[in-house]
Amino acid sequence: MPLESPILLKNIPTPPWGEFADRKTLSYDDYVKADGYKSLDQAIGMEPKDIVEIVKAAELRGRGGAGFPAGMKWSFLPPQDGGQRFLAINCDESEPATFKDQVLTEFDPHLIIEGIAICMKACQLDTAYYYIRGEYHHHRVIFENAIAEAYANGVFGENSRMGKVNERWPNLYLQRGAGAYICGEETALLESLEGKRGWPRIKPPFPAVAGAFGRPTIINNVETLSMVVPVLANGADWFKSMGVGRPEGAPPNVPASFGPKLFGISGPVQRPGVYEDNLGVTLKTLVEDHCKGMIPGKQFKAAFHGGISMGVLDTTEYEAEMDFDIGKKYNNLGLGTACATIIPHDVSMVAMARNCARFYSHESCGQCTPCREGGNWLYKMLTRIEAGDGTMKDLDLLLEIASSMGSMPGTTICGLADGANWAV
Amino acid sequence: MAWITKQSGTIQIDRRDEPYLTAEIRKDFESRMFPRYPDKQACTIPLLHAIQDLHNWLPYQAIEEAADFLGLPASTVLDTATFYEEFFLEPRGKYTIWVCQSVSCEIMGNTKLVEKLSEKLGIGPHETTEDGRFTLMNVECIGACGGAPCALVNHKLHENLTADNVEQILDGLD
Ligand SMILES: Cc1cc2nc3c(=O)[nH]c(=O)nc-3n(C[C@H](O)[C@H](O)[C@H](O)COP(=O)(O)O)c2cc1C
Ligand code: SF4
Ligand code: FES
Repeated sequence: MPLESPILLKNIPTPPWGEFADRKTLSYDDYVKADGYKSLDQAIGMEPKDIVEIVKAAELRGRGGAGFPAGMKWSFLPPQDGGQRFLAINCDESEPATFKDQVLTEFDPHLIIEGIAICMKACQLDTAYYYIRGEYHHHRVIFENAIAEAYANGVFGENSRMGKVNERWPNLYLQRGAGAYICGEETALLESLEGKRGWPRIKPPFPAVAGAFGRPTIINNVETLSMVVPVLANGADWFKSMGVGRPEGAPPNVPASFGPKLFGISGPVQRPGVYEDNLGVTLKTLVEDHCKGMIPGKQFKAAFHGGISMGVLDTTEYEAEMDFDIGKKYNNLGLGTACATIIPHDVSMVAMARNCARFYSHESCGQCTPCREGGNWLYKMLTRIEAGDGTMKDLDLLLEIASSMGSMPGTTICGLADGANWAV
Repeated sequence: MAWITKQSGTIQIDRRDEPYLTAEIRKDFESRMFPRYPDKQACTIPLLHAIQDLHNWLPYQAIEEAADFLGLPASTVLDTATFYEEFFLEPRGKYTIWVCQSVSCEIMGNTKLVEKLSEKLGIGPHETTEDGRFTLMNVECIGACGGAPCALVNHKLHENLTADNVEQILDGLD
């Protein structure tokens, strides 16, 4: 069932409810006029643990790539011990094909800020860092300005309307990245926040226990936190009335696909952009209805359906349902960021694989040998094959290298190498 | 490439008397930035950005000054600086053109853009023109895939570029 009315994009004109051309940034006052900050007021009157319970009951899953249930993550925090506790908001958004968080950041920054404040109150986190990728210059200015407005209106800082959180006045700061894909990985992001190289950490300990500066830290994606705002206002049941829910016959502890999601579609379609629809919408609907189809003369061949790290859907999988079960159903790595690049009939898959290999070899942080060396090796071989100089032996070698890389076979620290090897 | 290692310790450092780390930046960090974090090291990246925004690149002397200011060994700050693609440890052009080469942009024809710009500026990717005006960078996804192919010129984003209109992004630059 299609989404009836926009939820996250309520204030951001988007077809079929509005026009891209009418989008503009909402100021604090605009946002309050659109009923903004009501969920925060509601949260202020609640016990922190009751807020966490609602998010848990809604089974809101992380929208940054891994799909981990947010409420569950929040409940992993240890009890308060008097020391600082942090929130890191992941707006690194460097996964190729992915450009959804920037739309929220650019046009409705206070929705994100409200979600951040609610999370801080629910989890008793006193300091939040908004980690935004270095290349989002225009967005950075907008968000910086929105933070200043939030301080001026008593959301953060001394005399915050939230009162003291974790025995301190709550603060939100913007942190600018500096051009490194790997800093989107949550522990690399923390290293970068601490002023170091973005090198993922070996887990455990998990960030909820020992994260930024060795203290308990929650890391969530921008879209995940924004979704907390309507969930709190309307309740868990409302949220669960949208999306495709749990696969038939699955026990209740299996994470499901509830609620709407942002989908960014790019490539040779008539109207590329970021749209909102229920989880479970088909790729075909996204392309044909939301994006008004392919541009004339181009045919759908395949798609990177969730950023490039999750694999591809082929021509026969055009009607795949975009939900968290896509990995199991269609044998790929998962929904990822749910941002799809459409590959047309006249682009070669070898060229695409080569592009991905170059990306991963370039963005590898270099800590793990299989990832650092393997990525580069794959890239060189694919370049050779694309130039027409490949041999049959190359194919065997490609497979051998690819299957030796990744945290799945247990040879690397983080998931970058898993994203790198699927293409082969 | 993120994992390129640091230059060897024998490197000759060009020095000048005037510090790169200005009194203004120091003051701003002491009053506004240090209180944000539990320790000073966390200010490394914001500080490097501040210095680079002012001088357009990060000379070794500036790295040393930053390290001194943060109470860290220079090697630690250099370690961080060399990891990130946005930090330039060598002089670059007044305008840096970042052309995206990731999947959406490749599908939508980015290679023609780079060719055209290379030809027009007489430099290849990761090179700077002799007059010091332009540096051309081939980079990975810049998060504007809906407007592919796209490029940043310093902080300004240009979308839906073609071989025909790509030169326009140079128009109006002094
Ligand atoms: C290599 C790599 C890159 C990642 N990049 C991002 C990113 O740019 N943005 C993001 O939100 N999550 C990214 N993630 C996922 C994060 O590690 C983490 O799961 C997520 O931020 C948690 O937030 P969520 O639970 O709200 O989704 C990345 C993961 C890996 C392994
Ligand atoms: S898998 Fe790759 S990116 Fe991840 S920690 Fe290892 S070397 Fe770094
Ligand atoms: S692929 Fe070029 S901006 Fe994302």
